[in-house]
Order: sequence, then C-alpha cells, then structure tokens
Amino acid sequence: MNILIVEDNKELAVEVYDFLCNAGYVCKIVHTCNNALEEIGSNDYDAMLLDLGLPDGDGFEVLKTVRKTQSKMAVIVLTARGELDDRINGLHLGADDYLTKPFALTELSARLFAVIRRMHGFTLNNLIIHGFLLQLQDYKVSYNEVPISLTKKEFDIFQYLVLNKNRVITRLQLTEHIWGDILEVNSDSNFIDVHVRNLRKKLDKHTTIDWFETVRNVGYRINE
Amino acid sequence: MKIKHQLAIFNALTRLLVILILWLMLPILVENVVYHHINNSLLEKKEKFIKHLNREEINDFIESADDSTEAFSEFSMLHNEFLVLSRAPLKPRHKFYTFSNDYRKIEGEENEYRILQYYFAYEGEGYKLEIGSSLSEVNDLTFVIRFFILIVFVVILLVTFLADTFYIEYLLKPFYKIIDTKIRRVNEPEAFDHTPIKAKSRDFRELDLVLNQMMDRIAELFKKEKQFISNVSHELLTPIALLKNKFENLLQNESLDDNAIDKIASSLKTLDMLKKIINNLLLISRIENNQYQANENINFHEILNDLQEDFQDRLEDREIDFKNQMTHNYNFIGNRTLIHILIYNLVINAIKYNRPKGDIVIFDGFENDRYFISITDSGLGMTEVHLEKIFNRFARINSDQDGQGLGLAIAESISFFHHIEIKVVSKINEGTTFTLAFPEAEK
Repeated sequence: MNILIVEDNKELAVEVYDFLCNAGYVCKIVHTCNNALEEIGSNDYDAMLLDLGLPDGDGFEVLKTVRKTQSKMAVIVLTARGELDDRINGLHLGADDYLTKPFALTELSARLFAVIRRMHGFTLNNLIIHGFLLQLQDYKVSYNEVPISLTKKEFDIFQYLVLNKNRVITRLQLTEHIWGDILEVNSDSNFIDVHVRNLRKKLDKHTTIDWFETVRNVGYRINE
Repeated sequence: MKIKHQLAIFNALTRLLVILILWLMLPILVENVVYHHINNSLLEKKEKFIKHLNREEINDFIESADDSTEAFSEFSMLHNEFLVLSRAPLKPRHKFYTFSNDYRKIEGEENEYRILQYYFAYEGEGYKLEIGSSLSEVNDLTFVIRFFILIVFVVILLVTFLADTFYIEYLLKPFYKIIDTKIRRVNEPEAFDHTPIKAKSRDFRELDLVLNQMMDRIAELFKKEKQFISNVSHELLTPIALLKNKFENLLQNESLDDNAIDKIASSLKTLDMLKKIINNLLLISRIENNQYQANENINFHEILNDLQEDFQDRLEDREIDFKNQMTHNYNFIGNRTLIHILIYNLVINAIKYNRPKGDIVIFDGFENDRYFISITDSGLGMTEVHLEKIFNRFARINSDQDGQGLGLAIAESISFFHHIEIKVVSKINEGTTFTLAFPEAEK
C-alpha cells in the first residue's frame, strides 16, 4: 500500500511516516501543495493523508484536483482547525475521512485501514489472529468456525488491537476510539478494562491467549 | 411611544398653543386696527367741519347763545354717526382733542360710539365739537371675524396634524428600516446587509453610513477573532500532535523498561488533558464568535438515548439509575453538535456528583408556554456560594474532583447561543436540578 503524506510540519510528517512504515505501508512525504500535485501526477497512491494548512495554499485545492482526475485514491484530511465549515466543505469535495489534530497514530491506522478497505470495494473482509477470525462486515468473531458472541464494544476493541497488532495501545487510545473524542478531561477510566476483561474471558474459553498482553498501568497489546 | 407619534403630538400641541394666543390677542388686534381707521375718519370729518366753519353755521348749530349745555346735534339716518357742537369755556390747558368710547342715547336708542372731542376757539369764544361713530357694526364684524378665524384654525390644526403625521412617518421610514434591517441583526455581522438605505434626510443617510462602517468594523473584528482562533488552534494543537505522536512511536520501542513506559503513558495523559482544555476553550470562543449554524432539527429523545448508551458503563459502575421520563416531542431548531455537548455536560455532571446507587431523572414539560428539560441528580448538592460560581470558567466545587471546570461554562455558552435559559436549583445532600428553558417557539 502506497501512502502519500502531505504535511508541512516536517517533524510531524516524520512521526507519521515512521509509524506507517512500521505498520507495513510504503510512504512518501511532501510538504507543499505543488509537490503533492506533482507526486500524485507521477506515481500511483492508494491513499493520501492531507494536511489543510499548507505553506503554498489550502489543502482543499489539492483535494479538488485529486477528485477531478483520480477517484480511486482514499483521502484522509488531517486538520488542526476542526471547524465545522471545514468538515462540511471537505465532505462536498470528497474526502473519505477526517482526523483532527492531535490524533492518535493507532487511530490513524485504523481509519486508514477502513478507507482503503472501502476504496477497494470491501474485498478485505476478514482479519485473522491466532486462529480467531474477525468478520468485519457483520461484526462476528469465530474460532475454528465456532462463533463467539461479542458485544459491539468488545468487537471494536478486538479489531482495534488486531489492526494495531504488536503495538502497545494505551487505555486513552482505546477510550477515544470507542467513545470518540469526548470533551471531558481525564476520561482515562477503568471502563475500558471491564470490556477488555470480558473480551479476554470469551476468547480464553477457546484457546490460550498469552499473546493478548496487558501492559501494566498503560494498556494492552496483541502480539502476532 | 414611537418617535413619530411623539413628534406629531408635540407639533399639534405647539400649534394649538400658538392658535390659543392668537385667539386671545385677536380682539385687541382687531380693535387697534378698527379704532385707528375710525379715528382717522373722525379726524377727517373734523377737518372738513372746521374748514367750512363760519359764524352762521355756528349760529345754526347753537340756537341759543346763552345755553352752553344744549347743543345742536346732527344725526345720520341710521344713528351710526352724530355730530355735536357746544359752547365750552376756554381752558388753556385743555388737550386739543381726545378719543373715547362711550354710550350715547340718541333718539331713544342707546349705542356705543367712538367719540372725538375737539376743543377750539372761534372769534374769542370756546367751543367743543364731538363727532361720534357707532361701534355696534364694528363689534358685529369682530365677532364674525373671530368665528371664521376659529373655523379656519381648527381646519388648519386638523390638516397640519394629518400632514405632519404622514410626513413624519415618511421621513422616519428609513430610520425604522435601519432599526429593522440593520441594528436588530448586529449579532450576525457576516449576514449584514450593506445596501444603503434610501432616505431623503441627510441625517439618516449619515446614520446608515456610520452603521455600515461600524458593522464593517465588527465584522472585521469577528473575522480577526475567527482567524485568531484558527491560528491558535493550529499553532497550539500542532505541537501537541507532534509530541503525542512522538510519544506514541516511542512507546513501541522494545527496549523500554516498565518505568519508562509508565512515564510515557502518563505524559500522553497530560498531553490529552492539555488538548482537551485547549479544545474546550476554543469551543467556547467559537460559540461566542458565532461560528456555528443553528439550523438543524433536534430530537431530544435521540440525544438522550445516545447519551444513555454512551454512559452505560459509568452508570453501571456507580449503580446509578438513569430515569428518562421525557414525554413530549418538542421540535427545536439549533445546532445538534452543540446541543449534544450541552446535555452531555449536564448529564456527566449529574453522574460525577451523584452518590453511588443514586438516580438521575430527566423530565420535560411546559411552563408558561416554554418547553423545558430538567436533569435532576440525587447527589452532593451545592451551597448558594457554589451555585453562584458554577458557570465560571475553571470553577470546581472540590479540588479533588476530576475535570477542569469548563463543562458548565460551555453549557452556559451553548445555552446563550441558542437563547436557552439555564437554571439551577440545589440542596446540600439532596441533589441538584438543572433546567433548560427553551425560548418560546416562533410561529
């Protein structure tokens, strides 16, 4: 998967780059609108992460051009503005998703997975981890064809951890993923632990799950 | 009372005053003019008489030379004039001639006359000449003039009052237009209509111009603030994003020991708190800067069901009974995101400040034709002193409570933005009720 990162903050671009490369994507960074348009013209990308405030123009201009010429590329808009106008504007111009800065990299990878999956007509419908089959289309999990009944939240947590496998996922990241970017401060809570505990209990019935790690005081990790 | 009515009434009153004064002065004026006229004609007659005066004529007038009081008189047919010549002793200090009004009985008919008395000497003898002119006609005439003038005045008063009213109305039309189309919309500087108001009066054109300039300035300030908010959010949130992502990448480093992982995770938490404070402050600024549209249909049942689902974990954790007793289907137009945040903040407070195994009651209804939703908890409650401060930014009841105390400040901003009145009643150890009273529906 080729990803174009359009971000004028070089340090931030590098962090995103490192993370996505680590996750197995092939990435390229550009810092300006012009470079982005050049790059899109000369290479094929599956997805683009587009910052809006670029030094030589508005990221929306890039988005407009992309939608005129190429419709197969997934675009996630990264914005620090978070304004309603921008979101509406972006929807009309055909962005596939939005992330408001600051965002969690793990959230970015989950969204990226989702938009690429949508772009390719939902051909990638299953995730497999240690014999557990996650059917993304209908929120079902089974082990050796034995269905496991999970709640929506448990399924979301499981999927999120699997998509970000081999990484420590903090409680905060999980909370934000499940409940959204809620405004309340110190939302880091033990509610997520309750759901994870239930999830592990259900999985544990079928096989040993020592690959489903608890990182003390911090969060969780699923190792492949 | 509107200015056009006040002006019309004031004009009518001043005119009435002028008319009243004229009315009172009229007899004096008329008399002055009439007397002046009569005096002149009496003097003329006297001149004529004296000019043609000779001894014979005097003898014709005065039959008996001894009789100084009886005088020969000459009357006109209708008794409107008379002439009397009589002997009078010569008095050197006597005034030459005088005018006076007096009643005279002539041939059994008493009338008021204007009388010229003239003393003169002829061949060494003193005489007094009296020429009179009747005033009864003059008085009749004065009455008729006053009557007609009264009618004319009343007509003038009515006509000018009507003309005034219409003209003032016409003159003030641009003024009311300025109020209706410009001043009332002062809170939406971007939607401000800059087309100049057509006005005959220069004052209103100037007012309109100044208003337009003022609105331009306000719009400029709004724009600048919007720009500033946008800049702040970009400039503050970008470094936070950078730090957050750096820490996240660092967290994946295999060589970290538990202690380091802990510290990174707690740094991430601090960053998250910082992000939320900034976002909350920006949210308040954006609301106050009118950056939100309020044009969505809001279904309160939907919002509360969503919230109940979101809060399920918290509610179960503290065994709080969430009782949604809403029965109305009120239709409200506003900003769904903001209303969601408003109710979210009130409900989360009701959970946070509740006692374990307590309850939360959501109730709705109508009071004085206004729809209200109340959210009641069975928690700690607050004292009067606390109640006064709860909507202040960064206000917290207990320092050991979670949160940074912006929730209710946001709730207040959102309420104000939507013209919703937010009321709070609280009793220590019994609980607190927040009531949202929605503005009366415009029909």
